[in-house]
Amino acid sequence: MRAFVTVGTFQFDALVAAVLDERVLVALRDRGYTELVVQCGKSAFEHAAAVAGGETVYIERDGMRVELWQSRPSLDAEFRRADLVIGHAGAGTILEVLRLGKPLIVVPNPTLLHNHQTELAAALGPYLKTAAIHDLADTIASFDPASLQKFPPFDGSRFRALVDAEMGFV
Amino acid sequence: MLLPILALAVFIIYRIFCTLPSRKRAVKATKIKSLAVFLGSGGHTSEALTLISALDFNRYTPRTYIVSEGDSFSAKKARELELSKGTSTGPAQYTILTIPRARNVHQPLVTTPPTALYSLLACIYYITFSSFHTRSSFADVLILNGPGTCFVLCIAVYLNRFLGLSAPRVMYIESFARVKSLSLSGKLLYPFVDRFIVQWPQLKEKAKGAEFLGLLV
Repeated sequence: MRAFVTVGTFQFDALVAAVLDERVLVALRDRGYTELVVQCGKSAFEHAAAVAGGETVYIERDGMRVELWQSRPSLDAEFRRADLVIGHAGAGTILEVLRLGKPLIVVPNPTLLHNHQTELAAALGPYLKTAAIHDLADTIASFDPASLQKFPPFDGSRFRALVDAEMGFV
Repeated sequence: MLLPILALAVFIIYRIFCTLPSRKRAVKATKIKSLAVFLGSGGHTSEALTLISALDFNRYTPRTYIVSEGDSFSAKKARELELSKGTSTGPAQYTILTIPRARNVHQPLVTTPPTALYSLLACIYYITFSSFHTRSSFADVLILNGPGTCFVLCIAVYLNRFLGLSAPRVMYIESFARVKSLSLSGKLLYPFVDRFIVQWPQLKEKAKGAEFLGLLV
């Protein structure tokens, strides 16, 4: 099984450090994961220079095969291949992953100013799991994807009705 | 001497009155409507295009996608949407308009006024001058989702209204990311737009007249 981690466009040093830490790797391994792919963005960590140069870095750690790279124009393929997504709480990432029906653990970035990510993650409580950096390993260990509600599919009818009414079509 | 000044004052007050946002609906549509949407980059672009994808393109033609200078991501995404829609009305009828940014990321606040003014002049050129020229509106409806740059578009629309030129109805849709507090663009635009839509019920109390219709994206 494969877990995918995304930090978004910028950087989230603490999340990259956490998922490369023994506690999280062991928690993943114990849940049956063998592969971990990490989209690192501009985060500072031991292989930052290599991934900044466009390289994909492969390492073996605590029985997990780990793949690290900076970013890709679309993460859609990675989300589809993953059995679990761990991500920053960006609205775009959340919507995309939930619509694909993938189990999602979000870790809001506490260093962001005017942090409304935590509010969004909390409001989406039934559909995803929220973790903090310090309890990420425990969250993975106890996470049951079947306990999450299925996120409603995209429904364009409301907006269509709104604009059609505004423009006098109905 | 006093009479012309008084007349001018009355006229200006009347024109300002005419520019007030109105919640009244448009008259029954008898023809297709033109649409414009601002793609504010990144998440704003994704949300705005998701909204637009819900519309019947046969009803909303032509479509104008307004992007910020240097934002190739948004232009590309707009073209992708048009391609995927493959409208039945023959050749795709859309344009991508580029406007200068009102304020760049990390730009010092003191240098913002000239940049914003340059951006505003571009908006006036596209929205006001073109309406004056063609005697038709730049668009019948303008969809905004943030960020702040879309405020200059709103000012240009107001100039049209003040001058008595045809102007689009302006609809602002607050980002799905905002649950408990309005975004800066939401706070700026809320008094001026004709429709103000939020995607979380908690936000209805934050702005009088805000409408909540459920999740839209």
